[in-house]
Amino acid sequence: MSENTSDDPSLLVIAVDTNPSQIVIRKNPDALTKIINSISAFGNAHLMQKPQNKLAVVACHHHESKFLYPSAEKPQEFRQIDGQYEFFTFVEKSIKNNLSELIKNAPNISNNSESLLAGCLAMILCYILRIKKSQPTGSNLNTRILVVTGSEDSAHQYMTYMNVFFTAQKERVAIDICALDNTLVLLQQGCDITGGHYLKVPQLDGLLQYLLWIFLPDPSIRSKLALPPPVKVDYRAACFCHRELIDIGFVCSVCLSIFCKFSPICTTCSTVFKVPLPIKPKKKKLKT
Amino acid sequence: MAQKKVEDVLLQIPQVRYKKSDGTLYIMKERVVFMLENKDQIAVSHSFYDIKMQKISPEGKPKIQLQLVLQDGGNSTFHFVNKNGTQHQMHDRERVKELIQSILPNFKRKIDTELEQKNKLLTENPKLLQLYKDLVISKVITSEEFWTIHGKDLQNIQNVSSKQEIGVSGNFLTEIKPINDGCNQFKYNLTPEVIESVFRAYPAVKKKHAEHVPNKLTESEFWTKFFQSHYFHRDRITTGMKDLFAECGKMDESMLKKDIKKSNDPLLNLSKFGDNTIEEGFCSSSLVDNKIDNAGNIVHQNIIKRFNQHSFLILKTCKEQQKNSEANPITDEQQDKKNNSIEGSNKRQKNVDNEVVPIQTEEERNEQVQKKKMRIAEKIHYDDLGNDLTQQNKDMSTVTNINLDKLERYLYGPMPSNENSFVNSNKYKVAPIDVVDMTIRKNTSEWSQRVTHKQLINPTAAVNALGELSPGGVLMSGYHDHNLSQFVPTEVEKELNNLYLSAGELLHEFWLCFPPITPELEMKLLKMHDTIQRFNSSKIKPFEDRIIRDLSPLGSQLVSHINLLIDTAFRKFSSWKEKKVGKVK
Repeated sequence: MSENTSDDPSLLVIAVDTNPSQIVIRKNPDALTKIINSISAFGNAHLMQKPQNKLAVVACHHHESKFLYPSAEKPQEFRQIDGQYEFFTFVEKSIKNNLSELIKNAPNISNNSESLLAGCLAMILCYILRIKKSQPTGSNLNTRILVVTGSEDSAHQYMTYMNVFFTAQKERVAIDICALDNTLVLLQQGCDITGGHYLKVPQLDGLLQYLLWIFLPDPSIRSKLALPPPVKVDYRAACFCHRELIDIGFVCSVCLSIFCKFSPICTTCSTVFKVPLPIKPKKKKLKT
Repeated sequence: MAQKKVEDVLLQIPQVRYKKSDGTLYIMKERVVFMLENKDQIAVSHSFYDIKMQKISPEGKPKIQLQLVLQDGGNSTFHFVNKNGTQHQMHDRERVKELIQSILPNFKRKIDTELEQKNKLLTENPKLLQLYKDLVISKVITSEEFWTIHGKDLQNIQNVSSKQEIGVSGNFLTEIKPINDGCNQFKYNLTPEVIESVFRAYPAVKKKHAEHVPNKLTESEFWTKFFQSHYFHRDRITTGMKDLFAECGKMDESMLKKDIKKSNDPLLNLSKFGDNTIEEGFCSSSLVDNKIDNAGNIVHQNIIKRFNQHSFLILKTCKEQQKNSEANPITDEQQDKKNNSIEGSNKRQKNVDNEVVPIQTEEERNEQVQKKKMRIAEKIHYDDLGNDLTQQNKDMSTVTNINLDKLERYLYGPMPSNENSFVNSNKYKVAPIDVVDMTIRKNTSEWSQRVTHKQLINPTAAVNALGELSPGGVLMSGYHDHNLSQFVPTEVEKELNNLYLSAGELLHEFWLCFPPITPELEMKLLKMHDTIQRFNSSKIKPFEDRIIRDLSPLGSQLVSHINLLIDTAFRKFSSWKEKKVGKVK
């Protein structure tokens, strides 16, 4: 991240998890309204920092991920309300309109379903790359992603997550995580890999305050601010057999599957291993 | 002439010219001085300490000169212009030369070469210098101990300096720049190195030189002829038979042919190389008439050929050198590789050899195919990837494909389990999912209304959040440690850094002694223990005391880690000692 300077404009992409299965939302369905309001305000604050700053907002719903802003529809004429800058009104309106559209058109949900955040992030990375490529040569654009989610860690998106994180690292895209409910081990790793910040919000009421305080400044400025120290990241891997995080495991030398217990035959690629011989106890030294 | 009164003049030579002004050369006890004629002014004054060596102009030159080369690379040239003629000039110069020769060794700084090398090593490695300062100068360890530890580095330097030999530079011929002296003449300065290079690159010239020089031609005549022929005549088609080097060209050419024949690489067909251009606009016109063009232009062809030949010969000198340095004969593989490199340089080689490709029999063709296979295997084989070539060939036949029972798992990692992964959601009292969904859908209709800022965030919640995020808040725990660096002055930081460097070095040596199985290691262990103790009391303790006094709240924090390191070492030592005592009893 050292090349990025705070003078360059920055593109912020917010991924917001709107899946109704999230515990936060299930406990209090009005929380979603609060989250959306906070995010709109936060996005506008980002745009206000620098006239060249760019913003994109993606919703990750239970059936699909969709761009809320910018969207295909043409900017309509907005009357000034409350003295708010028309462009900000437009941003807020299009986020809300598109999301309500998305929610209304969503199929009815009967079971809990996981938010496919990893796929959403991949989509965002593609978008960022496209924007970066369309930049005029010589101009620099800082890019980062903010994920606002109350979902749980999902082990089965592990591979996709890792691919996303390492791509982001390579493309110098910082991934910030704002966890609303659960401690997200996997996404913490992503923050650590890409140089973003991880925060688990202690109380949802003050969400906007947390967002503005921690995630508004660019990563290049953050080192100069008094921000919460980064959390120690748990880099344990999940085993393929029980999906549990393990400290020490066994890795198949052929297909690199991870197992928590030794088995003589790899269940992924059916390679047969030699049974390790028990280590001989050391001979006691002869006393001289 | 105040100068003369103070110092004894050993020799005084009048009629000497320096930079086109006449004067007198004085050789004194400690320096060489040149004074301009009729002036009380010293034009040049070189202390013998500064003089590195002296050079004299070669015999037969019209000017009798003496050059003093200085340590810093500069030089001064004195021209002897005795009116009585060359004989006297020579005599003058000889006297100066001999005197300087006898004096100069007295002033040579008698630096032990070893000491010099140590000095060089220290100046090149600031880290090592710091270690030396901390450990040796403060008498924690002796100089010998220090050098036994770091002797490896020293030896490395020695090895490097002795081993490398200078090869022949590819552009050595263009390096010899002729000096135009203004009257339609060129002058070449030939150093022994250049001559050596020419001989090595052009064995034919060396042969000629050996044949002709002492008897038929003088040294300078020979080189004049060489340059005349090399730079001028060779590009002309009509080489006079009387030219000394006409033969050489033929010899070189036949050698080239031989070498091309020798390099029988099955994957390389030298004679098929065409001199195609990359694209129109590079070098020559389009591809079609390229052939006609190049074939017609014999001058181009000759130049390309000569460039190729030159590179060929240069590369060959490297090969010979390696052959000489390696006492054991080169293996076939190496030979091949070298041939490759030579061939590589000859890619642009035109059809030099007119030999007809002989019609191959079936067997020969098979053999060639086999050879090709071998070559390809050689190229794709890496020594560090395990077993040797033949072994690999066997393995090739028994390669098994990966047999994936669960392809999904291989591609995506841990798979979702069948049971509901949201079990723990039951822990909370939550509304059924469909109800939540409905509520949200209903809520969206209200979104089009304007949100007042009070709705956006409650002031109390904002203040609470701010409290959590301020230093001392819930989220900011562990924040202070992070910023320790802000309170530590840079000098202290640097000092601590050096302390760590030295301590790390000593501790490294200490831990290397474990397990002390030989008496030598035991000895070393005892010594290292003493050394660390000395280091602890002479360096760390004073530092700690000072830090605690000056930076009271941080003092103990700064040195706690280094103390821990040393305590650990001491503890290990004492436990080892106890065990040893127990054993003896």
